[in-house]
Amino acid sequence: MSEEKLIQLAKEGDKDALRELVKQHEKTLYSFAFKICRNKDKAEDIMQETFLSMIKSLKNFDGNSKLSTWLYRITVNHCLMSARSKKKELFVEPNDDDELFAEKHAADWSTIPNQSLENKELREILDQSINKLAPDYRIVFTLRDVQQLSTEETAGITGLSVAAVKSRLHRARAFLRNEISEAFKK
Amino acid sequence: MKFEDVKCKDVMIHICENLKEDLDSEKCRAIKEHIEHCTSCADYCTSVESTISWYREYDPGFTDDMHQNLLKKLNLE
Repeated sequence: MSEEKLIQLAKEGDKDALRELVKQHEKTLYSFAFKICRNKDKAEDIMQETFLSMIKSLKNFDGNSKLSTWLYRITVNHCLMSARSKKKELFVEPNDDDELFAEKHAADWSTIPNQSLENKELREILDQSINKLAPDYRIVFTLRDVQQLSTEETAGITGLSVAAVKSRLHRARAFLRNEISEAFKK
Repeated sequence: MKFEDVKCKDVMIHICENLKEDLDSEKCRAIKEHIEHCTSCADYCTSVESTISWYREYDPGFTDDMHQNLLKKLNLE
């Protein structure tokens, strides 16, 4: 059955259709929430809150965008609300291009051997690095590079302009790359 | 623009802005040529791709229990 039909049935109160919509999107939304907040319990809470919001507001969904885009937007809002409860000083806003793209960074990576995600140290470094990145940048990086949405879709979900998405993305990429490189040097 | 005129910093910014995007401007061609002749920029390019690839592969997994908990929370059991 098409998603459009499922949405129509779900709006009419069909629980089987609603269950199917949840099943189709639960893994993606949980994975996305985890990649933003890096905490399994919090990601599960955010996913649950997103679906509760979906059920509450499904009647207002006009079908002009994909359901997944709408769900990403709700998840982003929940992630940002969760991040606001943390102190702002915990995050880095990578907006100094002179430092981000200093030539000293270009030669560092050769010190890092090929790593597999089986490596616990690497996973910890990935968590620590992205946890430092300001949530606004983290969300753009995750939507665009990890979930592989287009720049335009990312802009639509975050409410940013295409130019702002590109700017945050290239700074987030450079920041994470530099953090990982520094961590391996220690 | 000649590839000798391109600075490593230009390459780093360009790589981060346009990774995997197939651009074919004069500047892109000069950047590509620079990377072919500059080991550190080639390493940098690989490192940005590795960073993205690691975050992409890092999946937390999703269990049956989580599915059941979700249905319970949504009153869809």
